Parts: sequence; structure tokens; C-alpha cells
Amino acid sequence: MILRAFLSAAIALALIVQPTAADETCMSPYMAKIVGQEDYVYIWTLGLEGVGDGEDKLVTVDVNPDSETYGTVIHSISMGGRHEAHHSGLTDDRRYLWASGLDTSKIFIFDVHSDPAAPKLHRTIDDFVEKTGGVVGPHTNYALPGRMLVTGLSNNRDHGGRTGMAEYTNGGDFITSVWMPTDDNLQGAVKAGSFADGYGYDARALPRRNVLVTSSFTGWNNYMMNLGKMMGDAEAMKRFGNTVVIWDLHTRTPKKILDVPGAPLEIRCAWGSRSNYCFTTTALTSKVWLIYEDDAGEWQAKAVADIGDASKIPLPVDISISADDNHLWINTWNDGLVRLYDISDPFAPTQVMEKQIGEQVNMVSQSWDGERVYFTSSLLASWDKTTASEGNDLQYFKLYNWDGESLTPEFNLDFIELGLGAPHQMRFGAHALYGGTSAQSPSGLGTPPAH
Amino acid sequence: MAARQRSHPPALARPPRTDHYVRGTLLLLLIWAWSAAALCAPHEHKQPVVLAPGYAPLEFTAPEPGSYGLPPMGAAADGDVLDSSGNEARLHDFIGDKPTVLSFIFTTCDDVNGCPLATYVMRSVQDALQADPLTANKARLVSFSFDPLFDTPDVIDAYGSQFRAQDFDWQFLTTEGAATLDPILSAYDQWVIRDYDANGDYMGTMSHILRVFLIDESRQIRNIYSTSFLHADTVANDVRSLLIEAQKNANTAAKTSR
Repeated sequence: MILRAFLSAAIALALIVQPTAADETCMSPYMAKIVGQEDYVYIWTLGLEGVGDGEDKLVTVDVNPDSETYGTVIHSISMGGRHEAHHSGLTDDRRYLWASGLDTSKIFIFDVHSDPAAPKLHRTIDDFVEKTGGVVGPHTNYALPGRMLVTGLSNNRDHGGRTGMAEYTNGGDFITSVWMPTDDNLQGAVKAGSFADGYGYDARALPRRNVLVTSSFTGWNNYMMNLGKMMGDAEAMKRFGNTVVIWDLHTRTPKKILDVPGAPLEIRCAWGSRSNYCFTTTALTSKVWLIYEDDAGEWQAKAVADIGDASKIPLPVDISISADDNHLWINTWNDGLVRLYDISDPFAPTQVMEKQIGEQVNMVSQSWDGERVYFTSSLLASWDKTTASEGNDLQYFKLYNWDGESLTPEFNLDFIELGLGAPHQMRFGAHALYGGTSAQSPSGLGTPPAH
Repeated sequence: MAARQRSHPPALARPPRTDHYVRGTLLLLLIWAWSAAALCAPHEHKQPVVLAPGYAPLEFTAPEPGSYGLPPMGAAADGDVLDSSGNEARLHDFIGDKPTVLSFIFTTCDDVNGCPLATYVMRSVQDALQADPLTANKARLVSFSFDPLFDTPDVIDAYGSQFRAQDFDWQFLTTEGAATLDPILSAYDQWVIRDYDANGDYMGTMSHILRVFLIDESRQIRNIYSTSFLHADTVANDVRSLLIEAQKNANTAAKTSR
């Protein structure tokens, strides 16, 4: 009875409290959450020529400290080639993991519930471009009730940044697609500033406010181009997104286009039951932006903090908000640093610490309690560094313990030495999600904290 | 509706239930469920349950009916069911002739933001649709139990009688057992974890993710709602949107046939 009530609470109640912290804190509010010890981290990994079989992989690492195989790779499934493995996301029932390729526009759906220790390929969507009417580069795989929202980065007409979003059933059947609003076709949206570029990247929902928030990056031409070449190409550097779009979540129609110049990437919304705001960071201008609903009910965007020295191009990438909405981890890929910001006043974030994680650092995922912080290194195949300075790691998956003051290394897996490739998006798995227990000790599931 | 009388009562052994079959007013149900959730959680996770948005006034204005699309999400599956009188029927007997809101529940569900939420919202949808002459008789609600062991036709009939308004088309269904239930759950992607004791015997309890389906007259699923999304105002307007769409289609067909 206790276990059942516990599981039931974890699965259902987690859906309404709108938690959005790090990995567990950064996922869809429609999804059950792991608020205790996760058993596995699933790492969507880019294949590298000359490293192992060179193929993209879904790599499973055992992260339960009570397990005999703790801190090791226990499973890997290769995808028959390189697809520019990038982001992944779980369905609302956490039974399937969607992982997409930015280059080939394929989406791989993995069954992670039949055996959470050994995901298996369930279905491959290989007609994404055709079904969506030309959207290229599936990026964010975001759970909505009984369906997945997939944002795009590009299009098949000019491979630039104009793009759209698609919806699929959890089983992988296409439902519909919508293009991002542009100056040519605002689709009824209000253009609040100078831009209506039609670019896309991430998406997050605030269902209580009927709001979907999307951000904007760049198109296939740029993300598949060598970084040095692109940085030297003035025209290419103009082709980055400068917008965040506020959508009507229920009708999937754009309502307002906000200027957020400099490629706003990841979006993380506050979990608090009265907190109507989200954060994003801009890759090119190195700022923290607050996307918020003002007292008049209007959604606004405001730059609220700097991230390092923008002139040195630290290049903010992944961010992770804590479950209590008080802290935001910010990775800057180019200098390999993670920074922690106090965001208890969302209008005035302040940096409270920083730490070198590696030669480059991209994704950051934290446990619900914030005590475990995971990092991976890879950004894009054509952008990643190929050499590391003395003492720095190049392609890795690392776990640090966080005690509120400092990050302490727990383990480090070198993905080059292991013949795996370049690790990117991390998602958590647990036996308890599916009514089971781990081999050594039960994983914790529970009700997220109420705010 | 083609209903077939069940030839004999389902031979299902009902486990002893000494705990929580409390059925009174909805308020009592909610209070009890809240208490159960609070008491059963391990000490370190004792937290007040935050009620789902569906229990409170909607924090935004529901989109205007007919002003937005509800793209088809696939066919609503069929299967063998029992109605609340014990008649054998097909699920398709209850969907297809008018917009239908279908929820999977079980009557002893103790998660206030699970099945009780679904029933609470559906009752509110019933009230909203019944109050409008344009919709009063043009939609149906179906509450479908996925606990055939306990939710016999008699039980779901008693359960439904507490919520169903007179003259409103709200059906309460169950099944003979797992053999007929499981294919339906699978077809609707309704995931359930049944709880078993140390001897491997089913304990009569389960965990599940809440899903409520909106189904149109062509038996196409047009929306799925879960806990964060389920609110009577939006569901009722979605039903109205399907009715407006059906009327437009009928008008178009009439013009074409002239």
C-alpha cells in the first residue's frame, strides 16, 4: 500500500507541481519525475570517425552507487551511422526515449521501460522532413500529454534557420506541424521588437498559464559548418536567431515575438506554482535573459545578467534550474567552465561560483535534490575541439557531488578511451518508474517539493 | 447501442478490501484521498498535495470554440466491454455517434490528482454542456474502469450514480477481466502498473498515468489530457469545437449534394 501510494504520488503528482530543475528539473512538467537516486543515465552520443565503430550511440551508464557496476558503461546501442546526435527526450510516461539527429533528421525511439538497463530501438522515424513539409534538424523532443513536440532547427529549401515544430503520438505517428512566425507570416502574433526571424531551437511549457516558449539558434548551413570557418564568415554569423516566441499552448498558435538577440538556446521555466517566468541564455552575446509575465499579464524579455566576458566568447550552452528555483547552473562551452548563479531574485541573478569541468563542456543535468550534477562535453561534430590542453578532458561524462558549496568529482568516463564518441544529451532512468527495483537497492521516486 | 446481456456473472475473486472503499460526496472523497496520500508517503516525503489545476478556476481564458484545430491523433480502438447494467457491448458502441470524452479510471483510486480529478472534471464538463441547449444532448462522457476485479458493473453503476446528472449521457464501463481489458489499454497507450504481493498475487491496486481522451464522430482521437492539462473549461470548449466542425462539415456536404 505504501509503495503503491508512493509510486502513484510520484507518477501523478509530479505532473502538476511544474517542477523544472536540472535534468530532472528541466524536463516536461507532464512527466513523472525521479526525485530520489537515479539508476541510469542515458547518453545520446555522437559518433566520431576512428573512435570505436564511429557510429552514433545511446550509451547507458550505471549511476546507482549501490550497484556493482556503478560508474561504468553497461550498455551501448549503435545507430548504423552518424546522424549528428544531439538532443533527446522522454515521453510523458517515460517508457520511450526519443533521440534525434540534426543532420539526417532521423528520430530514434528507444524502449527504456522493458529493461531500463538495456534500452532497445523501438522505431525509427526517417520521414520527418517529408511529413513536416520541410522542417529539418529535429532538436528538442518534449513531452506533451500523450504526444511529443519536436522542434526543428532548419528547413529543406535553403537549409537556413527558418523552421517549424512537429507533433507526434508517443508511438511515433505524425500528427501535425507548424512553422515559426516570420515577418512574411506573423500568423497573428504580435512582433514586439525588431525581429521575427522564424528560427527555432528549444521549447518549454507553462501549462498553468497556457504558454509555450520557444527559442532560436541557427540553420543546417551553420551548425554543420566548421566552427572556425563559420566564425570567419560575416554573412554566416548574421544567420543566428534573435527571438523568443510566446505561444498559446492549447492552440499552438504564436502570440508574441520577443527580441532576445544573440541566439537564445535552452529554456528553463521556474517550478513555483506562482512563478510565471523562464530563463534562457544567449550563445553569442553571453547573457542571461528572463522571459516573464508582467503584472499586466504581458510576456516580456529582459537581459538580467552577464555570463563571463562576452568578448572572449565563452559561449553559454546548457543551463539547469534547481528544483527550488533558487539556482541556475550555466555551462560555457568554449572555456569549459560551469558557473552557478543565485536566481532567487530572477531579475538580478548573481554568480556565486565557477569551476573548470573540462576543455569544453556542453550539457549539465542535476538530480532532483541537486546533490548530483552530471556533465558531458560535446556540442556539435563540426564545432567540437579536437585537442585538449594539459590536464583537461576532451570528450567525457562526469559526475560531481554538490554540497551547496563546492563540486566534488565522483567519477569520470573518457568517451574517447572507451571508444564511444562525443557525449551530448543525458536523460535519467530508474527501475522504480516501471514498478521494479534496481539490483542492489530501490530507486527513489516521490512527490516533488511543493512551492 | 447494441448491448448483449452477459451470460453469467464474471467469475472474479474479489480481494478483501478493508481499507479505503469510501464513497460519499466528492468532497469526502477528495479529503480522504488527500489524507491517504499524505499518510502513506514515507516520512521524508511528507508534503501537502498540491491540487491539480482542474480543481480551481482556469487561470486563463479558454480558447474560443472553433477558433483552433484539433489534429487527429489516430483511431480510437474498440474492444469488449460491460456496461453498468452488466450488458456485454463493444467500446465502439459508446463512441462514434457524437463527441465523446473518455477517461480510464478505477473507483478505488486514491490519488486525488488521478482518477478523482478525471471524474471531477468530467462532472464539470457535464454541467457545462448540459447548461447549454446547443450542447446538452450532443456529447457523451465515458468513464472506463481498468480494475475489473473490483469494479464490477454493480460497483461502477453505484459509483456513476453519484456523478451522472439525470438525462445526461455519461456511461460507466468495465470489462470481464484482463483478457479483454489489456488489449484496450494497450491500444490507448494507457500504461498501468499492477501491484502484486510477495506471492505474486495481484493486490487489487495499481499505479497509472492519468489520460483522458477526446474522440470525435469519426472515432478519431482529437486530444489527450493529463493532470496538468485537464480542466473542464478547455475540455468543454474542445467538445464545442468538434460540434462546430461537425456542423460545418454537414453544411458543406449539404451544399455539395445539391
